[in-house]
Amino acid sequence: MLLTDIEFHEANTLKEASECMARYAPNARLMAGGTDLLVDLKTGRVGTNHVVSLNRIAALRGLATTNGSLRMGALTTPHQLWASTTIWERFPAILDAVRDMAVPQIRNMATVGGNIASAVPSGDLPPILTVLKASVILWSLSGEREVPLEDFFLGPRKTVRRDEEILTEIRLPYPPPRFGAAYVPFALREANGCSVAAVAASLLLDQKGIIQDARVCLGAVAPIPLLVKAAKAALVGKAADKAAFRRAAEEAAKISKPISDIRSSAVYRQELVSVLTRRALDSARQRALGGQQ
Amino acid sequence: MIRTYTLTVNGYDRAVSIAPGEILADVLRDKLNLTGTKKGCNLGDCGACTVLVDGEPMNSCLLLASQMEGKQITTIEGVAHNGKLAPIQKAFVEEGAVQCGYCTPGMILSSVALLEKNPRPTVQEIKDGLAGNLCRCTGYTGIIRAVQRCENYRDDGTCAKKEVVAENSRFNSITLSMPRVDAADKVTGRAQYTADIARSNMIHGKILGSPIAHGRIKRIDVSKAKALPGVLAVITGADVPDTKYGVSPARYDEYVLAKDKVLHEGDNVAAVAAVDERTAEKALGLIEVEYEELPPVLDAMEAIAEGAPQLHERYKRNINTVVEQTFGDLEKGFADSDHIREETFIGNNTQQQPLEPHAAMAYWEYDGTLVLYTSTQAPHYVQYMLAHVLHIPLGKIRVIRPAVGGGFGCKAATSPLDLCSAILSRITGRPVRMTFTREQMMHYGRGRHKQHMKMKLGVDRDGKIKAFQSEIYLDGGAYTSFGVATAYYAGSMMPTLYHIPNYQYHGYRVMTNKPACGAFRGHGVPQPRFAFELLFNMIAEDLGIDPIEIRLRNSMTPNTLTVNDLDIKSCELTATLLAAREKSGWKEKFGKLPKGRGIGIGSGGFVSGAGYAIYRGQVQLSHEKGREPFVKKSIFPHANAIVKVNEDGMAVIVMIGAAEIGQGGETVMVQVAAEELGIPPSRIRTRCEDSDISPIDLGAYSSRVTLMGGNAVKHAATMVVEKMKPYAAAILGCSEGEVKLLRDARMVVAGDETRSVPWEEVARKYFNDRGPLVGTGCYKPPDGLGGDFKGGTVGTSPAYSFGSSVCEVSVDLETGKVKVERFTDFHDCGTPINPQMVHGQVEGSMVMGASETVMEDVQFDKMGHILNPNLHGYLMMTIKDAPEVFSGIVDSYEPEGPFGAKEIGEGSTCTVLAAVAHAIANATGVWIKELPITPERIMNAIHAKQSISEVVSTPGDD
Repeated sequence: MLLTDIEFHEANTLKEASECMARYAPNARLMAGGTDLLVDLKTGRVGTNHVVSLNRIAALRGLATTNGSLRMGALTTPHQLWASTTIWERFPAILDAVRDMAVPQIRNMATVGGNIASAVPSGDLPPILTVLKASVILWSLSGEREVPLEDFFLGPRKTVRRDEEILTEIRLPYPPPRFGAAYVPFALREANGCSVAAVAASLLLDQKGIIQDARVCLGAVAPIPLLVKAAKAALVGKAADKAAFRRAAEEAAKISKPISDIRSSAVYRQELVSVLTRRALDSARQRALGGQQ
Repeated sequence: MIRTYTLTVNGYDRAVSIAPGEILADVLRDKLNLTGTKKGCNLGDCGACTVLVDGEPMNSCLLLASQMEGKQITTIEGVAHNGKLAPIQKAFVEEGAVQCGYCTPGMILSSVALLEKNPRPTVQEIKDGLAGNLCRCTGYTGIIRAVQRCENYRDDGTCAKKEVVAENSRFNSITLSMPRVDAADKVTGRAQYTADIARSNMIHGKILGSPIAHGRIKRIDVSKAKALPGVLAVITGADVPDTKYGVSPARYDEYVLAKDKVLHEGDNVAAVAAVDERTAEKALGLIEVEYEELPPVLDAMEAIAEGAPQLHERYKRNINTVVEQTFGDLEKGFADSDHIREETFIGNNTQQQPLEPHAAMAYWEYDGTLVLYTSTQAPHYVQYMLAHVLHIPLGKIRVIRPAVGGGFGCKAATSPLDLCSAILSRITGRPVRMTFTREQMMHYGRGRHKQHMKMKLGVDRDGKIKAFQSEIYLDGGAYTSFGVATAYYAGSMMPTLYHIPNYQYHGYRVMTNKPACGAFRGHGVPQPRFAFELLFNMIAEDLGIDPIEIRLRNSMTPNTLTVNDLDIKSCELTATLLAAREKSGWKEKFGKLPKGRGIGIGSGGFVSGAGYAIYRGQVQLSHEKGREPFVKKSIFPHANAIVKVNEDGMAVIVMIGAAEIGQGGETVMVQVAAEELGIPPSRIRTRCEDSDISPIDLGAYSSRVTLMGGNAVKHAATMVVEKMKPYAAAILGCSEGEVKLLRDARMVVAGDETRSVPWEEVARKYFNDRGPLVGTGCYKPPDGLGGDFKGGTVGTSPAYSFGSSVCEVSVDLETGKVKVERFTDFHDCGTPINPQMVHGQVEGSMVMGASETVMEDVQFDKMGHILNPNLHGYLMMTIKDAPEVFSGIVDSYEPEGPFGAKEIGEGSTCTVLAAVAHAIANATGVWIKELPITPERIMNAIHAKQSISEVVSTPGDD
């Protein structure tokens, strides 16, 4: 299917977009930045007869604060996250994911909503947003629902989002004091490198430095961003030290389900998970202690 | 569906008819004629199509034009104002940031966006800002320099930089780092590449590739494709000549389109021509092909086994070329050795990946002349091959080489686009333009042979080489291409760096169901050189000798005939080793760096032009005659030039078919002519692109343009000066013998320089009396090059280059990730005609070679499909991966070269792989003998070493 044979629909409102999707599904795809979808269409990885563009819906852009949480419009670009003082001050871990995501041109075009909704296993934002306890809002004519990100993904390029639902925003609770998070991706080159493995981690410490809560989420080593529940068990109640991190790293490596592909073997990826988990926890700890951003 | 949109481009509103799915890059190029926006990958990975949208850089190949209303779009054509270059453009021109120019528009636009926000970026900020723009030529070094120094350049047309002068005061225009003659066109988007050129009534062609790697074509039905409105021609194997073609005359084995079998994924099956690209693309989808699938063979070592699937009837056990050479007494050499080490190394299948995909545009003139515009390194060989396949005289073919966006060897042969566009144009009577997609480029291949190399080196206790034995299996892919020469080069170049008294080389080129491999920068040499240099470093370690010291003890000396009869004249390998050792701080670093950091050394070198042409015999004998018997001299001159002085004496046109592919060949021709004519380079321009205008030069391969083309131009310029002398004598009132040419565009009476006449006045007088003032010149390599044995010609050259690179790396010992930190490189390139361009070649080589060493590889599945047929999966270094490069040139003078010059472009690649691999070994304690040296391979080797040492250190444990 050539791009010029596809029918493009420019939705002006959520209602239009949802109706259009309902009308043409399953032969329709939503488009935000288009950086994944247009590549998929050009290479024939996906075929579709209809593309419904969300780009005219201004309400989907930008960041806002309400009720103690940050709301990111689905069309917010990675570049806009990078330029946001709120992100720098309150969610520095997101910068870990944005800093080297793809390349500058793509960071000006891609969207946060697209990075999540496309559900590519190597996507950079889902792991870090998961450890930050983000949720997504799915809007349809029958109303909207809020889904915790950890429940959103079903498999590679598969999510709980129904065809006529639009991912409109991402909600992030503001973190409590002595909370820190970090994201450590590993790619085979410094820019435009797809993650071979990636680990996001968060820690909440008490005043004595004992771990109160912890999350570890793996990227690119399972069909979906993988929240390592056993890591939490290995960490909570312990001092945030190397020994605890090593145990959590072992749990993470154990539970990861990587594949072998052109970038790396499964065995090596598991090895990476262990190293990256330790490093992510270590950075999260520094941030929790108010160290370097 | 189609409607008119208003796009604001470079400050002006433009009304354009756009279909909703149309991509901005295509609309800019095809509908607004803004061809400065380049298409390199079409999938958002290369950045060549970068434009600014409301000031932010974006990939125009991933933007829908219909969504661009109300936005300010800036293309490269909008950066210069009123004919004056913007400061960033001037900086790119003068700091050597431009080579092939194909990445340049995107690179400049990303720089503009960066500098707008941050006028004084740090190196790291520059790297972050330009991370989405790939460059394959410059190694990014000149680009970083240009962005850093941009603030030195002013907007008012003046330049803060001081005038460049020749580094060697004996010369005016030689050793002069003048900007490239084509740089201003390339920074403004004015430079036209083949895919930018359109003729009225032009149509578009596309090729259908095989979806399988090995099979027999049982049936092709093109009726549906032909019936599609807008389709003008569909051709298959039945419609193309029965003549096979290729590169090596002994092994022509390709048809324009497959006649019977397909031998690799993407093998050419059919071609269509249609009114537009979209229709042509659709028509491809309507061609029905039924294949009988055959099992593919994908590994060279499996392909030679009895019973393996056979690709070609004539190559039994899939062995395409056999080289078996022994020089000296190998047995005695090893018997005399105190230490012998044998190791096996495996290379990788890398591809050139120039940013510009191949393209061709053909039409036929009223008198039956074929005109072909093509993105090629070797216009003459294209002309020759078209004559051969199409059965028309060479003289009826006019090849035009527009700007070429890089080649590195993959554009050195005739492409299916050249042939199909000519055939489709003949059928339809209309100009036909065709381009490869990046995926098609990768299926066409012609990249580096993956070599399986078993090497055995014997030395005495001082490390002096006694004997060397090399057995190599080259994985050649499905066709011969350059492969015969590759198989010979893999052996013949080994004895050029060090004195090797006894040498045996066995080389076997093997066919597999993969894209054909060809001549990639350093043709056949980089991988065996990597293996040899690494083995040499291992032996140095075994003997406790410093690896630079062991090289010095064996280093080649000038005026040596090697054991395999190669005639080395100038040679400063020792000087490069000493300079690299000193400048890199080797003695303070080697063996003294902390774990995880390493330093390594590799040497290398290459020919300055092949001693013999690819085909034997005379130029006019193409398809009509059989092969000529071989004689040890060149039949016709390899480079030919005409230097024509304009009638007013104020301009000189240099005509030579030497291909400018980004390396700077045209600029070198200008500098050579200027020096010999005694006038400034600014008065000289070239006409190199058109075979109707310029006489034959064999092209930009085997690093031959500077030496051979330069000599031809120099001789032609000499003839002009000689013709002018009698007229100068008449004006000056002296004898002809007393006329002296000065370098400042004057002719004077020798001994009394006050009696002078301007150069142009003499030229005018000549024209007034005699008509056109023209000189001609040519260059033939010396007679008798090479030994009297089979393959003795491959590796012969008028001159050889030498160089040594020190590489420093850091390695993350927990993940195996390598950061190539820096190179310190010194080269013997003879006299550097343009030192800045020499450094540009070295900087590009270092980064390309490092990239090949640590990340590049074409990967295949079990059925022979390429798994990474794009620039997302085929990794090459971005600006953020690229190391720092220090490039130095040692004093050297090559008597056979113009003003003492020889080559730099390919020799500089040959040092790199081993230097990186050695540095990694030095950092990690493990030798990795297989390319690419990925983090995973490093970790596996570290684990293997740990488990061995555990076993060794705890013998009683089990």
